[in-house]
Amino acid sequence: MSEKDKSSAFGVFAKDYVPLPPKNAEVFTTACDYCTVACGYKVYRWPVGKEGGSAKAQNAIGVDFPHQLMNTAAWVSPSQHNIVRHQGKPHHVVVVPDKDAKVVNVGGNHSVRGGTLAQKCYNPENRTSERLLYPMIRVRGTLMPVSWDLATEVMADISKYIIAKHGEHAWAIKMYSYQYFENTYAITRLGMTSIGTPSIAPHDKCANTNDATGLDDAGIDSFAASYQDWADAEVAFLSGVDPYETKTTLFTTWMMPGDKKFIFVTPHKTMGVAWAEKEGRGMWLPIIPGTDTALHMAIARIVIENNWQDQEFIDTWVAKQWDVDEGYGRGTRNTGWQWRTTWGNWQSDWEDYKKFILAQEESKLDVAAKITGLKAEDIRKAAEWIAKPVNGKRPKTSFMLEKGNYWSNNYMNTASLSALGLICGAGNRPGRMISRGGGHQRGMMGAGGGSGWLIPEKYPGRRKKDFNLDRWLMAGEIKFAWVFGTTWVAAMMASQALSDKMQQLTRGNPHQISNLDRAAIFETLKKRVDSGGMVMVDSDIYPCVPVGTEYADIVLPAATWGEDNFTRCNSERRLRLYSKFYDAPGDAKPDWWAVQKFAKKMGLDGYDWKDSNDIFEEAARFGRGGVLNYHPLVTQAKEKHVKGHELLRSYGTEGIQTPIRVRDGKLVGTQRLHDPSNNWGEMEQAEVQSPFMHAFNTHSGKAILLKSPWKFAGWIQFYEAVKPRAEKGEIWVTNGRINETWQSGFDDLRKPYLSQRWPYPFLIVHPNDARKKGIESGDFVQVHNDTVYVQTGQPQGVLDADLNFNNLMKDGHIKTTEGQFVAVAIVSDEMREGVAMANFNFPGAPANSVVSAVPDPVTNNYRYKLGRGVLTKMGESPYKHSFTAMSLKPRNIV
Amino acid sequence: MEKQIVTMHEAHDEHEAHEGGGRACMSRRQFLLSGGAVITLAAVPGGLTFAAQALKADYPKVKIGSLSALKLGKPVTFAYPYPGVRNILVRLGAPAGAGVGKDSDVVAFNQQCTHMGGPLDGTYKDKHQVLGPCPLHLTTFDLTRHGMVVSGHGTESLPQIVLETQGDDIYAVGVLGLIHGYSANINGRRS
Repeated sequence: MSEKDKSSAFGVFAKDYVPLPPKNAEVFTTACDYCTVACGYKVYRWPVGKEGGSAKAQNAIGVDFPHQLMNTAAWVSPSQHNIVRHQGKPHHVVVVPDKDAKVVNVGGNHSVRGGTLAQKCYNPENRTSERLLYPMIRVRGTLMPVSWDLATEVMADISKYIIAKHGEHAWAIKMYSYQYFENTYAITRLGMTSIGTPSIAPHDKCANTNDATGLDDAGIDSFAASYQDWADAEVAFLSGVDPYETKTTLFTTWMMPGDKKFIFVTPHKTMGVAWAEKEGRGMWLPIIPGTDTALHMAIARIVIENNWQDQEFIDTWVAKQWDVDEGYGRGTRNTGWQWRTTWGNWQSDWEDYKKFILAQEESKLDVAAKITGLKAEDIRKAAEWIAKPVNGKRPKTSFMLEKGNYWSNNYMNTASLSALGLICGAGNRPGRMISRGGGHQRGMMGAGGGSGWLIPEKYPGRRKKDFNLDRWLMAGEIKFAWVFGTTWVAAMMASQALSDKMQQLTRGNPHQISNLDRAAIFETLKKRVDSGGMVMVDSDIYPCVPVGTEYADIVLPAATWGEDNFTRCNSERRLRLYSKFYDAPGDAKPDWWAVQKFAKKMGLDGYDWKDSNDIFEEAARFGRGGVLNYHPLVTQAKEKHVKGHELLRSYGTEGIQTPIRVRDGKLVGTQRLHDPSNNWGEMEQAEVQSPFMHAFNTHSGKAILLKSPWKFAGWIQFYEAVKPRAEKGEIWVTNGRINETWQSGFDDLRKPYLSQRWPYPFLIVHPNDARKKGIESGDFVQVHNDTVYVQTGQPQGVLDADLNFNNLMKDGHIKTTEGQFVAVAIVSDEMREGVAMANFNFPGAPANSVVSAVPDPVTNNYRYKLGRGVLTKMGESPYKHSFTAMSLKPRNIV
Repeated sequence: MEKQIVTMHEAHDEHEAHEGGGRACMSRRQFLLSGGAVITLAAVPGGLTFAAQALKADYPKVKIGSLSALKLGKPVTFAYPYPGVRNILVRLGAPAGAGVGKDSDVVAFNQQCTHMGGPLDGTYKDKHQVLGPCPLHLTTFDLTRHGMVVSGHGTESLPQIVLETQGDDIYAVGVLGLIHGYSANINGRRS
């Protein structure tokens, strides 16, 4: 039964047998736990000892083994099998992509991540045995097992004290925004509705802001497109992303077939780029990090000068001066958006935008080529591909953006891309869309509430900024922090400086718990918080480095994918049920359950859920009118007297795309947002027509063209400050993901096969950069940045320039720190020279340590991709000459 | 077990310029001094371990070629352990896990992608000792590291055909990893 016993003939994971499910195996539908695409999967479960046979009639896969079937998911690989407990008894499970899938991963296509999902299930015979099994309290530095009651009572005692004495904003939550509606609803209900703290930030940001902010201001929802749109596009402009590398089946199922052309804007020539080039339908624009805005403006200028714009679309769908002024863009009050759109920097209309582009020095081809490091002829060719009519016919172009774009110059890169896409006629019709590719799945269902008035920061004018949780922690203002399933430290900027502060506030404080008496703990923690310290709680599935392993006073074991019934949407808003199919290990509980337990100890009302379905149904009304609206499904389930989860289960791996509407009594999904064909007029049942369904998400329903002046002080001052300094021998050290490691590798480092593939984080370095430092593939390399800027204090913006980098520096709001990490070099010309790529968020090697923690003053989002550092060879890693671990070959061999 | 049929011919592969003397081959002694010192990394460029002997007991021993007939970087194909199971035998020019020959650089691998069974025939890249990309979804495999996925979506390494030499003769003696389309390489195998 061991997962290990046959895998080590040569010290590598290699089994030559896999059990097949018998005909009568139970079948569950689910979707992948990892990337935003969310392929559909089936889980077969049967008791140990009842294996199926290799003949078609003897197994549930329904084929004869062996077979020669290609490009179907009719095979079970050893990584797709595991042995789990169900009702306490050992059961086999195989988790395989759904070969009958008609959507998403049609025919059972899958990624290496999802293809190894079975290996994430708890099995005490492999490294998943490191799962957290019971609540623990740290006593004199060591975590000791306790009951859920004691853990939550201790939390409630000190929380009540802190909220009464130090205020709600001293009580903080750092949470994932994606790990299922049931959990995110419960957590936000606690934090925002019941406690009413503004101190909440999601996993990937220091503040609760939007991601692709320029798209928002233009009136474009980040997930407006469907996968069909990426298939229907004739040209795909891919900004800061290779979907092959991180959104696999979106690329391999929907984009590779046919004769679509691809323009990849990224300093990393990944496999998708190399493949498209070899096929003769790809172009690689190896851009200098952060300079996309100049590229977008240069392309827009070529389009305008050649009169290639889609004038009919612009006349119909782009807001005129009058439409813009009428609603101040989105027209919301007391948000960053109002500031961004009313002070005149950005909003425009067609005539004004045209004038703006033609007047910009940086939109001139030769100037833009110099800023971006691209060849002028490549920029021109890209403009021709996306917009030049052929035989009078305009190409169908879609624009995808992801983190290389919006995590390097958050506002301007997204604003300028949206404008470029709009003048090319993209935004609301088949094959012509502007959307994010997506990172995590869409699993946020906020309960509403909160207390923005408690935020200490503000923009010039009277408006509050979104709360920056990192800065609040650095200022020592957080007294209690509950971390849900996120790395916090390694995922945020200037990671080492943040980690040092956390250490100082928790383990560095003299008041440490010394026994497990509830009253004694309360006395100790009171002294802790009153002496400037902080109490930390970490909910996770594994010991999280360093928050759970070193700092947290209380560690709570979470139950996750496959261990309860959960729901969420993917990047085309497709809602599915992620079925429970095995027992959570030990005393691990889903996060909603932990929240409920704590809320009851706090004496809060409204936490009487019996199961996750109760939350799914309750949360439905909070998503009404939004992009993830599934309220009609819950309404219909009630009419049918079934649970909401059970009605959704009947939709299997196909699910249904939100927002869900009702026509002739049937639930109808929404393929594409902003599309005029969605205009149904009067709605059935209790639903109302949402204008963003059939028009752009602005006051006027028309999209807004946004200007993006390259020399905008909120950008250019920071960019000049964080660029690599030639005199120090620095190069850009950006960071990113690869297919084989999902986020921090919390599962992958424990999957037998993938942990051999990547036992240590990489740093991909161009041969010319490597040669200067004597670095070869397989060497340990230190990356060191001796000037990492951290914004401190709670600067109040009064005048326009107050929040720009130079003013912050002058006013003493920038602290200079340092950062470093070590990785294993892969020397390959897949990188642009002068730009190295580090493995994002790998435990023990925080690539974000060399990136400055100064947010975009327009949006309060970090510029995560703009790291720099000096590379130094530290010696050979054991992987340099290993035959069993960490291939060092280039990743783009075609 | 089915009767084994062994076929062997020069494969029509796509070749890239070989780096020749540019790549220094490491001696066994050098290897042990570097990678061998780290206990977590098993490395068996030469003789078979006890576990590998156990693996051998399950599989047929079949002559598939000779060292002297192998040309550097030019794969030849053969079937093993059943007809229809297509493999390549190749001298990589760089030492490899479970490699045989005096430079430990002769290896053999199955040619069906472990992702969705795509054909890897004709995809050997001798500049990098890599097989692939698979024409279906672009997976590549590192033949110096037991067929480990370099990039892409195979959920297993490429099954490696374990080799032995007797004088100049090369024998296939086992398979490391499950062949695509099979639930067991050898009938009767149970966990």
